[in-house]
Amino acid sequence: MSATVDRITLSVVRGVLETTQREMTLTLEKTARSSVFNTAHDYSNAIFNHRAEMILQGQDIPIHLGSLMPAMKAVAGYFADDTHEGDVIYHNDPRYMGSHILDCCMYNPVFYQGELVFWTVCKGHVTDIGGPVPAGYNPDAKELYAEGLHIPPLKLWDRGKERKDVVNFMLSNMRARRDQEGDLRAQYGAVKVGERNLIALLDKYGVKTVQACIDELMNMADRQMRALIGSLPDGVYEDSALVEDAGHGYGDLEIKARVEIRGDACKIAISSPPQIPYFINSYAGNSVSGVFLGLMMFAQVDPPYNEGLYRCVELDLGPKGTLCNAVEPAPCVNCTTTPMETLADAVRKAFEKAAPDRAVASWGHANGVNIAGQDKRNNEEYVSMILASIISGAGATAYMDGWHACGPQCCFGALTSGDIEVLEYSYPIIIHRYSLMTDSGGAGKYRGGSGTVWEVEPLDHEMTVITFGEGRRFPALGAAGAHSQLDDAKVGRLVVNTPAGEKIYRENVVVTIKPGERAANHNPGGGGYGDPLERPVERVVDDVKNGIVSVAGAKAEYGVVIDASTLAVDQDATRRLRGQRAAA
Amino acid sequence: MAKKYRLGIDAGGTFTDFVFSDDERNVHLFKSTSTPDDGTLAIDAGLQQISAAVGRSVDDILADTDLCINGTTVALNALIQFKGVKVGLLCTAGHEDSIEIRLGHKEDGHRYDAKYPPARMLVPRYLRAPVRERIRSDGKEHTPLNEDDVRAACEMFRREGVRAVVVSFVWSVLDTSHEQRAAAIVREMLPDVFLSVGSEVFPQTREYTRTSTTILNAYLGPVLQGYVNGIDAYMRKRGLHAPVQYFQSNGGMATGRAMAQKSVYAINSGPASAPQAGLYFAKPLGIDNIITVDMGGTSFDITLTQGGRTNISKNIDFLRYRIGVPMIQVETLGAGGGSIAWIDQSGLLLVGPQSAGAVPGPACYGRGGTEPTVTDANVVLGYLHPEHLLRGRLKLDRKAAIRAIEERVAKPFNMSVDDAAYGIFRIVNNNMVGGMRRVSIERGYDPRDFTLVGAGGAGPLHITALAAEMGISRVLVPKLASGLCAFGQIISDVKYNYMAACPMRLDANTDFGVIRSLYAGIEQEAIDALRAEGFKDADIVIERSMDLRYVGQVHECTVELGSMEISSDTFREIRARLDRVHKQLFTYDEPESLAEVVNIESTVFGRVPKPEPPRYPEGGIDPAAALDHQRDAVFPIGGRIQRVPTPVYDGAKLLAGNTVTGPAIIEEETTSIVVEPGWSAMLDPHGTYILTHA
Repeated sequence: MSATVDRITLSVVRGVLETTQREMTLTLEKTARSSVFNTAHDYSNAIFNHRAEMILQGQDIPIHLGSLMPAMKAVAGYFADDTHEGDVIYHNDPRYMGSHILDCCMYNPVFYQGELVFWTVCKGHVTDIGGPVPAGYNPDAKELYAEGLHIPPLKLWDRGKERKDVVNFMLSNMRARRDQEGDLRAQYGAVKVGERNLIALLDKYGVKTVQACIDELMNMADRQMRALIGSLPDGVYEDSALVEDAGHGYGDLEIKARVEIRGDACKIAISSPPQIPYFINSYAGNSVSGVFLGLMMFAQVDPPYNEGLYRCVELDLGPKGTLCNAVEPAPCVNCTTTPMETLADAVRKAFEKAAPDRAVASWGHANGVNIAGQDKRNNEEYVSMILASIISGAGATAYMDGWHACGPQCCFGALTSGDIEVLEYSYPIIIHRYSLMTDSGGAGKYRGGSGTVWEVEPLDHEMTVITFGEGRRFPALGAAGAHSQLDDAKVGRLVVNTPAGEKIYRENVVVTIKPGERAANHNPGGGGYGDPLERPVERVVDDVKNGIVSVAGAKAEYGVVIDASTLAVDQDATRRLRGQRAAA
Repeated sequence: MAKKYRLGIDAGGTFTDFVFSDDERNVHLFKSTSTPDDGTLAIDAGLQQISAAVGRSVDDILADTDLCINGTTVALNALIQFKGVKVGLLCTAGHEDSIEIRLGHKEDGHRYDAKYPPARMLVPRYLRAPVRERIRSDGKEHTPLNEDDVRAACEMFRREGVRAVVVSFVWSVLDTSHEQRAAAIVREMLPDVFLSVGSEVFPQTREYTRTSTTILNAYLGPVLQGYVNGIDAYMRKRGLHAPVQYFQSNGGMATGRAMAQKSVYAINSGPASAPQAGLYFAKPLGIDNIITVDMGGTSFDITLTQGGRTNISKNIDFLRYRIGVPMIQVETLGAGGGSIAWIDQSGLLLVGPQSAGAVPGPACYGRGGTEPTVTDANVVLGYLHPEHLLRGRLKLDRKAAIRAIEERVAKPFNMSVDDAAYGIFRIVNNNMVGGMRRVSIERGYDPRDFTLVGAGGAGPLHITALAAEMGISRVLVPKLASGLCAFGQIISDVKYNYMAACPMRLDANTDFGVIRSLYAGIEQEAIDALRAEGFKDADIVIERSMDLRYVGQVHECTVELGSMEISSDTFREIRARLDRVHKQLFTYDEPESLAEVVNIESTVFGRVPKPEPPRYPEGGIDPAAALDHQRDAVFPIGGRIQRVPTPVYDGAKLLAGNTVTGPAIIEEETTSIVVEPGWSAMLDPHGTYILTHA
């Protein structure tokens, strides 16, 4: 550490960076128009230094943050010397390391005394980006051109002047323009609040001291990750995980991860099947997120989180044209959830082979809905992803049950699903149910967290419901010998109730429902940890009393026999059943 | 009235503090040992002390007391220790789980932490009863109330022995009829339960926040009610005419009856008055950036005030539970004189959060405590004199302190008792520094820009060590330090805070009469109450605010309106303030966008005259005349822990201007200030010690 940097200043700088990032996030949340931004937190903010290195990752969505590292470099490289004070750059294109086109990023270069010092960056999931299907999730797209508007690095503000024609061009290609315009202003507010705080920091301590502190923060992260990797035995560790066929007909697809550990560094190599003409391909930028999420689920290191964490990691995403290293024209709108969560599983499981005591169960994968229609209250079109519809259960760990309602894995607890009154105020809908699902958590000594069900009915109009994701056939992976019996209760699905009857969808679809009809999106629970027969009987009883596990589930999965009316345990029958199961 | 006394009583986990101001505006501090099972015993003991000091009977004193204020940590402690009552929830069918789903979020700071447990449910799932009913987002009824569901739930609650019931339905803020009818059924079927209704406790949009806030209210209500009933009955019996005012987390006061019904407003009642008191002492010195730290027997409370303003939080997670009502931002941790030092499984020495409390108390109290505490360490280190605390009324057993530290720490670690005691001192300091960093550094405030105000009975013992760790070079310790919060209470105004949902567009066509009558409605109750308490209209001040936003946003900006009348004449000004606040907060505004009102809020103050600060006689720099004795105390000198002869001054004899150079100890009646090497302490004419680092 530089002699001019004392521990207090270092801590203050770190504190200011974290506060700045939090205030950027708060700005976006407080000012935005769409529920995805203002209640659901499907956005992430980060701060980069003049070298386009991420110096603060924050606590936002993992899937956003990993890909921002290569994306920032692609954007900064694109304009290079043509970057000026007052410029604001926008971008969503996977061909420039973007994730999917719904995740629109704003990049604000922060100049101090004429010099580029920082970038404040705001990445958010806009509710629509044009294309044939509202909300962007077009299961019929065979190429990325059919998914919506692609924005290569583009200046929205040029030396402080808004390029109104360019902004207008962009907004003219998106549904629900008022929301999109408000959200764009909100992103602008976020990056400018970040700039304001950082300038105050530079005024106080000077560029040199601040940069010295930041270098040290990155070194701290680097040391932390190296200490962990260095503690693992050298060697090569491999594992894989399956992406389920969500209606595309190409079958289940296997993603393999190979981790080579040498000293305090590692090389992660991915191999995956050829890309397919369905929206689950992942371009390189997005795949970086998947790999790093798998690594962080394994590493569980403490903050500070910044690019220093990954210095000791060499990454090979496999040949171009494959599922995890897709190239034009592969469609990819679903990539931030599928196959990225499976990619994270494969990487994490490979690392766990080097340290089985660090194993954790998978969280439920995302399977959610977008809704769109005409709001008769103001005669405006509305469209939104509903984050409340993708809240799954967290995986159990060696220490405890998984959290209920905390996933999906790609967001890792960073989302907020939004208050149902706020959602009903924003859209012409009535939410009949938002609750935990019985028997959805994976069985284990430590049980996986419960998934949720979100049930909606449109008011006074016809509503389009568009699903995405997976986790409707394969339950979340358990760990350390966990196994379940009632798999169907543990996976997601869309259940549509109309006068014609009930229909269950396990693939990605676009359906329309009317007032009086309901769509209920079920989400998977998290994986369990350890042998369910080792779960103490009283904890199983407690779960049954609270409706987290059914009486049938207690018997089938935990070998605990409970009287349905009194909730009394039949101790003899339980002992017998658990004995038989253990012997089997 | 012949005499007008004012009495502030702050009931902490270990001590109950009394600040008493007489009609000549002299302020006195008294302390008694807290009696958690019956708070009135501690109050009685304190009143006896006041009686002895004033030379009048307790009954006479109370009869002449026009303002008696009580701050309490009863609700906070019940929440920390999960000692609230068994609560049943009646909620809209399909929405039983909102408090457990918690918006699907895991707290920041624990993103990849595999050991961080979910929050404990205050109402377990089996006590959350679905009721078929539904109001829509436009206020229309979608499904009528199913009264059978309510009755069946009440039967279940009765079987389960539920003591409090919450009724909280979706969109009840737009139509309260379902909640009201369900509440009536609960009252009829379960007349003895404590009942809280969502639209009454927190009448604002957001079901999760409202339900969670109301559950906390019910969980803590009966606990607080028991406390308040006891105090009120005692005070009435002893002749107090005015109702006891209870301090609230938002910095205001309310009567016991109002308070028990809205216990969630009382959660952090104790420490919320610290910023007011800190500013009272700091402002004459031209200081308005302060961090107050209050270390009592059980807990350590931190507040940060910048430019004279202390942040108020709304809709935040407090101890992991969502609370909608406004609260002064206080960071609290389990570190106090009573905090117990212990060795964990891995062999690490830890201090707290368990506290020996008042009973059995630290080992040195000689009440049967055998665990070593921070106070025991302070006695061993020579910082606390065994005979001088509370003018000798609380005698400390030094041998018992040594024994506890020797047995539990020094022997297992094979170290000297001094080293073990200093280790306890350092570890508890480190815990407190962590909390101070959270409120300052982690929120982007540089602690070096602030003056530290040391408070609580134990705070001044640690204050120079804490300041050094934080890089703070100036510290204030008022002579009243150990009763800072009680003092803050008697200089606070009476304050009632009311809010109402008021969803409507804000433009030239707005029916401002509706808004005016809403304001008038919520303010009248407060004005009547203040008049009944004897406030003249000239001393009643109204401060209004409105939560406004641009149409399409779902979060609001709070716009302060002062006492502005709301009309078509002022609407442009109101609108301009929204743009201004939005720009200030978020760097941009949207003057051409439509705006809407969400909530209105009114704070009605009854202005209370502030006591004049006392004046102490001036003397020179030399404090020699106040030197009481010299004793050995332990300090780190030259990188080594050493026992050195240390001058001890009698605070009562120090004159303004006297300057004490560390290492030294200043003994006040209710606290001792440890002046570490490198620091000096000067008494200013108003009775505040100003400590500075060379």
